[in-house]
Amino acid sequence: MKKLFKILFLPIISISLFALVYYQNLSPKLGLDLQGGISVILTADEGTDQELIEQAVEIMRTRIEAFGDVQEPEIAISGENSVLVQLPGVTDQERAIEALGTTGLLTFRPVLDSSMSTGYSPALELIVDPDDPENVSTAIKEGVTGVDEVIGISIEDNPEFESYILSVNSGYPVVYQLGPAELTGNDISDAIAVFPENEWIVSLEFKDESANLFTELTKKLANENGEKRKLAIVLDGEVVSAPGIAFDVDPTVGITGGTAAISMGNADGGESANNLAIILRYGALPVSFERSSIQKVSATLGENTLNLGLQAGLIGLIIVSLYLILYYRILGLVAILGLTSFGLLFYSVITLLGEYQGFTLTLSGIAGIIVSIGLAADSYIVTFEKFKDEIKIGRSFQFAADKAATDAWKTILTADFVSLSAATLLYVLAIGPIRGFALALGVATVFDLFFTRLYTRNTVPFVSNLTSSSRGFFPIKMKDLLND
Amino acid sequence: MIKKLFIGSTDIDFLKVGKLFYRIFIIEAVIFIAVFIFSLTGILNVNLSVDFTGGTTYQFEASYDDTDIDDVMASTILDVSRYQTFENSNSLIFRATENTQDKETEFLFYLSNKFDIPDADIDFQRVGPTFGDEITTKGIQALIIFLTLVVLLISYRYEFKYSLIALIALTHDLLLVFSIYVLLGLEITPSTVIALLTILGYSLYDTVILFDKLNDSIKSSKYSYLSEGSLNKTFNEVLMRSLNTSITSAIPIASILFLGNYLGLSGTLSDFALPLFIGILSGTYSSIFVTVPFLAKIINK
Repeated sequence: MKKLFKILFLPIISISLFALVYYQNLSPKLGLDLQGGISVILTADEGTDQELIEQAVEIMRTRIEAFGDVQEPEIAISGENSVLVQLPGVTDQERAIEALGTTGLLTFRPVLDSSMSTGYSPALELIVDPDDPENVSTAIKEGVTGVDEVIGISIEDNPEFESYILSVNSGYPVVYQLGPAELTGNDISDAIAVFPENEWIVSLEFKDESANLFTELTKKLANENGEKRKLAIVLDGEVVSAPGIAFDVDPTVGITGGTAAISMGNADGGESANNLAIILRYGALPVSFERSSIQKVSATLGENTLNLGLQAGLIGLIIVSLYLILYYRILGLVAILGLTSFGLLFYSVITLLGEYQGFTLTLSGIAGIIVSIGLAADSYIVTFEKFKDEIKIGRSFQFAADKAATDAWKTILTADFVSLSAATLLYVLAIGPIRGFALALGVATVFDLFFTRLYTRNTVPFVSNLTSSSRGFFPIKMKDLLND
Repeated sequence: MIKKLFIGSTDIDFLKVGKLFYRIFIIEAVIFIAVFIFSLTGILNVNLSVDFTGGTTYQFEASYDDTDIDDVMASTILDVSRYQTFENSNSLIFRATENTQDKETEFLFYLSNKFDIPDADIDFQRVGPTFGDEITTKGIQALIIFLTLVVLLISYRYEFKYSLIALIALTHDLLLVFSIYVLLGLEITPSTVIALLTILGYSLYDTVILFDKLNDSIKSSKYSYLSEGSLNKTFNEVLMRSLNTSITSAIPIASILFLGNYLGLSGTLSDFALPLFIGILSGTYSSIFVTVPFLAKIINK
């Protein structure tokens, strides 16, 4: 009885754990590559303050939530200066990518001039050939630096200096000449899109300490006319919007109270108003990031891959089982019970890890699991072959089984130790997909050790008593063995 | 012979066999080193995925004909460097070198228009060149630390000479897979790198089990050192184990390969399965036929 308990200890634990997981309707948490979605790695400059990155991550979270349509977005700091953003199951991927893409620096800059009336950048001037009035070319105006010769746009935009920036936001290209930034996204406390009457409005609220700055700025602008009356909202070096100061604003008073309203018209049913409000609310990140990797997987591809992995794993397991039964007979059954329990335990643990630790099963994790089937099967083969060697030199079944189980444990311990150190090393050193693989392999190796020590070691001696014919264990006749 | 193999009572003289396999090993080594040097010097083209070179990949399913592909390849939006089609499915893959995000999005819409599919159905991947560098550096780091650890471990558990033999077997397997990839022009992806690292583990696991067995044989023999008798005994006994293990390990991986091919699915999982499959076969081979000639050399001295 005690022996039977020892043998069935691990299978029973595995089955009960699986039953628990099954009845609670839990399933492994799937990674992006298996359920579809987008994964973006954003990298900040080296040596960026960790606190700023944490702030940026917080802002990104609220931004993504504001866009809706994303189930369980995952935004996490990975490595020293990178942020891993995973948006599974997104249907409107382009919009979500854009939502992430525009997480740059938000500034308010007075418009000094634009290409609206002339058609060419304010940084350029027309040169008319005196001999041939039809031959007109452009050149950079005197005193303007850091501007592209042909289109007259600042090569590098620094919000602290005057720059020439292209905008295609109104449907046609406009080059704005902008003054240095007067306010940033940090000065905004809230922004919402509303539809009071006839048209959409983005209602903007500044933080208390910034309200004065805004009033002073609008005073200055209300003195101007035409393009110079506009205030550009610039995000990531692009003019998102350049609303003009309304004509009823008194130049001696400005816009007071720390609030402002931007008229957005009624052309698109409020979409642009909503987008602008979101950008104003969450646009400014304290750090600028570069997208160092984007991966987009459609839901169908993810599902196909998952099914392929599962089917291949199942077919592999069945063929391996058949092979083990054909060759090792009763011992084959021992191996199959062991491998099945191993599989159930693995599934349950991965599911529970997903549920409580947020571990996601990715493609490379599945690869690791499939590889570990081979690893686990090998432990049985090593034991069984030792058993055969012992029988071959004339030992009794009982003695052979005991010795094989003990010897095999030592061998497997050494070999698994190598695998485990490889898995640990991979996990510590590797990034991204390799980690999922290393974790699966490492967990499988630990399970393999448990199974070899607690299950195989007790079960092989037990079944060696069941029959006295070697054909119960190997496709060999006894006389062949003894003749050896 | 097969029956003997089954019973485990083969009596192959591995010292003799070793000479033949030593010659095979030398030929292999020459080829591997040549391929390796040629790829380093750029004479042979190593097909690295965008993860290493930086750039974008677009993958989708659509009906198409050859002129469509020519059109896309001639597109001026992005510098499209390569395309890939599949026999059993309508999948198409285009790869382009790095460009601005605007251009890359423009190209996405271009493909969506051209092949008349919603843009959300196009799988899109963009990788900056630094990301690939990071993977490569970390991979090489992992490799060096791992190999040092292996040498220390095997030297401690068995003998220093054994660890060198294990290293030779490992290098053999890695270079074999690498050479096949380079010579067939297969694409090397991060999955391939993971697979190579797994092969390392596998090959080593195999070799350690063999050394363990060798140690046992030496202990039970009348000599306290490696003799011809214990060498032959070990390898004859270990043949069936190696065969069975590689069969059981290779079956699940083969099923990924064949099922994936049958369903017309290409992707990370198949990228992973192919090198692993080659590596497991190579690992089984090298754990016996690469180690034997070198172990024989130790005896001769």
